[in-house]
Amino acid sequence: MSAATPSAQLTAYAPRVRVRRGISVGFMVIALLAITVSILMLGALIVEIAVDGAARLFTDGGAVSVEARDGSIVSDLPTPEGMGWLSWVLPIAILLPFVGPRVVHSVAHGVVHGVPRVAERLMGLAVVAPVAVFLHILYVRFESAYFIEYAKAVDIDGATGNVLQLFGEASGFQVVRLVIMGIGLPLALLLMGWFWSHRMRKPSLLIPAILIGAWIVYLFMDPWFLSSYPSRSPSGAGIFSAVTGTFYMMTITAAIAFPLGVGAAVYLEEYARRNWFSRMIQVNISNLAGVPSIIYGLLGLQVFVRVLEFERSVLAGACTMALLVMPIIIVSAQEALRTVPPSMREAAYAVGATRWQVVRHHVLPYAFGGMLTGNILAMSRAIGETAPLIAIGALTFIAFLADSPTDDFTVMPIQIYNWVARPQAGFHEIAASAIIVLMVILLLMNAAAIIMRQRTRTDW
Amino acid sequence: MARNFFTVMRSSAPSSTAARPSSSSRSTAPPPPNMKEAPAAGVGVHLDPSLEAVRHDLTEDIEMALELREVSAFYGTFQAVDKISLPIPKNRVTALIGPSGCGKSTLLRCLNRMNDLIPGARVEGEIRFEERNLIDPTVDAVEVRRRIGMVFQKPNPFPKSIYENVAFGARINGYSGDMDRLVEDALRRAALWDEVKDELDKSGLALSGGQQQRLCIARAIAVQPEIILMDEPASALDPVATLKIEDLMRELAEHYTIVVVTHNMQQAGRVSDYTAFLLAGEERVGRLVEFGPTQEIFTNPLDQRTEDYITGRYG
Ligand SMILES: Nc1ncnc2c1ncn2[C@@H]1O[C@H](COP(=O)(O)OP(=O)(O)OP(=O)(O)O)[C@@H](O)[C@H]1O
Ligand SMILES: [Mg+2]
Repeated sequence: MSAATPSAQLTAYAPRVRVRRGISVGFMVIALLAITVSILMLGALIVEIAVDGAARLFTDGGAVSVEARDGSIVSDLPTPEGMGWLSWVLPIAILLPFVGPRVVHSVAHGVVHGVPRVAERLMGLAVVAPVAVFLHILYVRFESAYFIEYAKAVDIDGATGNVLQLFGEASGFQVVRLVIMGIGLPLALLLMGWFWSHRMRKPSLLIPAILIGAWIVYLFMDPWFLSSYPSRSPSGAGIFSAVTGTFYMMTITAAIAFPLGVGAAVYLEEYARRNWFSRMIQVNISNLAGVPSIIYGLLGLQVFVRVLEFERSVLAGACTMALLVMPIIIVSAQEALRTVPPSMREAAYAVGATRWQVVRHHVLPYAFGGMLTGNILAMSRAIGETAPLIAIGALTFIAFLADSPTDDFTVMPIQIYNWVARPQAGFHEIAASAIIVLMVILLLMNAAAIIMRQRTRTDW
Repeated sequence: MARNFFTVMRSSAPSSTAARPSSSSRSTAPPPPNMKEAPAAGVGVHLDPSLEAVRHDLTEDIEMALELREVSAFYGTFQAVDKISLPIPKNRVTALIGPSGCGKSTLLRCLNRMNDLIPGARVEGEIRFEERNLIDPTVDAVEVRRRIGMVFQKPNPFPKSIYENVAFGARINGYSGDMDRLVEDALRRAALWDEVKDELDKSGLALSGGQQQRLCIARAIAVQPEIILMDEPASALDPVATLKIEDLMRELAEHYTIVVVTHNMQQAGRVSDYTAFLLAGEERVGRLVEFGPTQEIFTNPLDQRTEDYITGRYG
């Protein structure tokens, strides 16, 4: 009986450890940083709102200009002693305590986990740089407040005039700023730190690069651009209604397309028998993904706008977009489902699970990250779609916010299309700005998808 | 009822060994040398001459957990297993041995309707389980799988906590008792409790291969099945973990019926009470060659091919 001893007997353990550490030092540092930044930012905004003269400011180093009510710019205000250099020294001084431990940690982390130190440090800088820039801006804004006071004191005409406008027509501006500066950026930093301080498969500068890009765009852009409605004059026009319309429509689109798409994928992968019928459905879904989007627009025009009488509303647009992205969502969800190994399903069946229990407790949770990723990518496709919305008649001049799904609406690509089509050069310039904003949103969405894919991957 | 079916294979052979072959004797007298040359005239009786399956006397009067009658399995048009008739004695360990590709896993998966999950797979024949034919489509496969658990060749814990891995089966089956105790009990019986009791929240995937396999065993016994099917449960394990699992199988056999597929002859000899030897011919269709008490199969095989296989001379 010296019989067949499988050599496999000695191959022993195949440990497949999934890295899931608790909260790391890096995470806490980043979290602290992000919380501090949030508080600082909110504080800055409160100061800005509180100081009477937070007029329309153009910050340029230490020099400040004030726009008077008649539109004339009063510049060349005398600079108080030390203001120029202080605006940079102060932020750096504030940052040092953060940067110190950060670098120490990154070195230690590099030693322990073998991540190249240089890359770690570069990423550390990437985290810190936008914060430094922000603090600089923050400081300049404090300065500006001082200048407003100064301007009032020396009685420059109209220096207080814009206060009314700030709290009047354009108060949406503060909300946008509050969201972007006070919540968006700190969250982005938090996310980045979380993502980065846990070991990534491949350290990447992508996320910091995108964030910095967003920052630069924000710095160079007149913030009013984000918070103004379309206007007859290029200098007064903004994309507020287009941005909000886009988000409004995308939310409804996702709410329709994601459950339906995931449901269809689950049906096709887990329930449908492999027969001619399911094969036909499968082939058609793949074909639908390739149908030109204008066709969806015409379909939406007939079905949603006319037959169902949704009119040219957000809802009609969202339904059309949902149809458009559904094939993408279905196919990517199917792929996510296929990454769940059959052995997981067998394991669940073997303890007496029903098909639904297997799907509900195992297949869906394990594939969810992948599905979400696919959904975000599908949304980033939809966000740039123009043709179907033109077909269903989305408007381009919307000077109010949609407050119900049946309101008229516009979205960013349509606004851009409209501006580009105008003869005046000024509109072409703001179209370019709008394109940059759209691109930043797209990049952020794709970055979120990448992060999600990395984070939710399971090593089977 | 259970006995009727096997009266066919009553034989004139002396029942030399005691009731539990594994316990009593490795030292049975060697069989007369001519036995293998002329099996038909000797101890076993061919159930069906064309299949050339030979059976030993069961040596003990024992209840059957399952009775396979002419079970054939197909993958599409390919027949993997041909008309296998086999009893699975209750509260004993039955080993399925045979060369790779002879249909051991296929046969095992027939026993708890796991083949239902493979598109195109089909099973014919009859598997008696408590007066019912569990292959029958009207029998609820979910119920069958709850009562006939399975441990797979490759450890496949869920990517969830150790606790959840064990509790899942009980929970979906509506267990309303003390879940913590059930989990602890299952892990203790699977000889894993001491290693993981402080980190039940840890992912099941973060365990070593051997620990994962024991976790899968704990998961299988937590639903308190009547029969546990194990497909080469130790094939990826080191000798220490293998021994732990073998001890475990012997312990489990007090309460459960176990069917184990193994390539390791010593292991089959150590853990099993009964052994079935399967072989695939030229056309790759698996057939039963010999079934009987492990003791008999190993010391006194009736078929030359069985002897060749267990002594490692096969092929
Ligand atoms: N899902 C499947 N589809 C088609 N054929 C299959 C499938 N699974 C197994 N087979 C075939 O059925 C036959 C028996 O396979 P099975 O897995 O039962 O062998 P086995 O005895 O368990 O082998 P091993 O000892 O290598 O695990 C083989 O010829 C194999 O190719
Ligand atoms: Mg096998």
